[in-house]
Amino acid sequence: MIEIKNLNGNLGDFKLRGINLTVETGEYHVILGPTGAGKSVLIEYIVGIYSPVSGKIFVNGEDILSLPIEERNIAYVPQDYALFPNLSVEKNLAYGLEARNMPKSNIHKIVDEIIASLKIESIRHRMPLHLSGGEKQRVALGRALATKPSIVLMDEPLSALDENLRSTMARELRRLQRETHSTFIHISHNFEEASDVADKITIMNEGRIVQTGTLQALMKKPETKFTADFLKTQNIFKAVSDGNTLNIGKTTLVKKNQLKGDVIAAIRPENILVISDAPNNKEPNNKELDNKENILSATIETVRLKPYYTEIVLNAQLPIVLYGRNENNYRPGQTIKIQLPQESIILI
Amino acid sequence: MFGERMLFKSFFYGFAILMFSYSAYLFVSNIDQLSVNQAAVETRELTNVWGDPQTGRNEFAGGFWKDAYFWKSLNLTLIITVITTILVSLAGIPTAYALSTFKIPGKTAIEILFSSVIVLPASSVGLCLIVLLNHGPLFQLQKWMGFRFAHSIFPGMIIASMVLSFAFGVSAWKATFDSINPRFEIVARSLGSSRWRAFKTITLPLSKGGIAAGIILAWTRTMAEFGAVLFFCGTFSELPASRFSDLVKFLKIDQADWLSVAVWSQIEYGNVEYGFALAYVLVIIGFFSVYLMHRIGAKGYIW
Repeated sequence: MIEIKNLNGNLGDFKLRGINLTVETGEYHVILGPTGAGKSVLIEYIVGIYSPVSGKIFVNGEDILSLPIEERNIAYVPQDYALFPNLSVEKNLAYGLEARNMPKSNIHKIVDEIIASLKIESIRHRMPLHLSGGEKQRVALGRALATKPSIVLMDEPLSALDENLRSTMARELRRLQRETHSTFIHISHNFEEASDVADKITIMNEGRIVQTGTLQALMKKPETKFTADFLKTQNIFKAVSDGNTLNIGKTTLVKKNQLKGDVIAAIRPENILVISDAPNNKEPNNKELDNKENILSATIETVRLKPYYTEIVLNAQLPIVLYGRNENNYRPGQTIKIQLPQESIILI
Repeated sequence: MFGERMLFKSFFYGFAILMFSYSAYLFVSNIDQLSVNQAAVETRELTNVWGDPQTGRNEFAGGFWKDAYFWKSLNLTLIITVITTILVSLAGIPTAYALSTFKIPGKTAIEILFSSVIVLPASSVGLCLIVLLNHGPLFQLQKWMGFRFAHSIFPGMIIASMVLSFAFGVSAWKATFDSINPRFEIVARSLGSSRWRAFKTITLPLSKGGIAAGIILAWTRTMAEFGAVLFFCGTFSELPASRFSDLVKFLKIDQADWLSVAVWSQIEYGNVEYGFALAYVLVIIGFFSVYLMHRIGAKGYIW
């Protein structure tokens, strides 16, 4: 378990302020945030490259800040993987074990196991210069896992990979983490990447932790507009609430809540329903609806076809983004009806 | 794309051929300077600076290979160059590594100092050394200890030749260390390796080409030293044998000059053929040093 307590740091233009974070043993934790949020600086403090101004970092109860890098037992996988270019794949994997003066037979055994687990038998004698992005990533990860570290820190491990390889490697990371029961801290600026792998996500912005929680919890209850925005909520409006209804511009929606006065209303695009009476439409049928609250009529402004859904931007007095089914062939200019269910409206 | 490449290639090869032909022309066109120069013979007879026997001077290349002065000077230059290169490497490689790796207060000032030494004329360096070591408290200290840095072979020549050589070497080594991803050592250490082991197993093998190139650069810079040695140490050829220590005599470097200084002094004395011959010897040594540097440097694995 790693506990970061009230960590403050100052590194050039980056400042970390009051970081408190707990990552449980065996957890896959993603630190998510835009560029410049201070994510990399945070893990550089954990690795020991720099020293923070104040605060403490405990790993399994031991304060590690006074320890040099080599005694922290924290494996670090930087963004460029930093495979040692003068050593073959096999030697790279064995590097940490040799540093611990392990007997040669044990080193061979562990390296063989890692090679088998990462399925990199064919490249074991190759030099890093001749590896593809995905192969480099596997070797870097294998090298980090070989020493059985208490934590594996990965700085943007998937950002150097192309789109198709990224989801495959994300699954691979998850599999390895589960198999080895290691604690992974993974830094990313990509929400989809985080959602592929994370047990828990911490969102950072401007050197502070904004919110921590499971993906579901964060999506259901973002505590700030920044979190809602970063998790691609897309429909975020300033609204006035009277406890029963919400006024967003000229539109009034039913939403029973405890808040009164100025609020921010956030609605995720996938939670907005399209209602249609057309016979071949696969969206929910108007007649089947039990609840007829918050139904708006809207004109489609733009349509973007994505692999699994259609992203539609509507004008329903408010600009609204929602996802529709590809087979419905939405066209700009078309008028449709949508429903914003009460439970889909999040108030911040 | 193809056109650009062709243009670049033709410029590159054109320039290379031009430079090569010009160097070859300079080299070959001056060979006749090695044969006996009648005007120089007459001047020597008139001035007779060398006093007694001028034998050997009135022949091809001044007959330098028969002259003890040449062999002693070559000996002196090689010995001091070897010592200087070793000292510069021992001090310079760790300095360059520290400048490249650690956060050192005043690092920029140190780097500016090294860079400005590189652009200083060597004669200014020699003068600065004289002012620094032949006056004031450092001079009093030398007096008290019973020896002098200036106008001495040991350690005067070493000090004079070290300054620029050190600055050049440090620049080359620092560039090499700078070109190595700093994360290599950090990752190595995060895997449990000590700082020394990380340096020895990763940084050193990756920088060996650059380190070797820096050593040879320091070597060639030392060998080509002129101004600093001349200003700080002067010439030794005319000093009486009694002025030299037993060690210097044992090493056969007494009454000898730094080769580049010898070229200058011989031409000043009117021994044009001899001076040119020494210049050719220096050109040949320099050529082989640079060739060696390219051979070793090219094999190095920088990234």
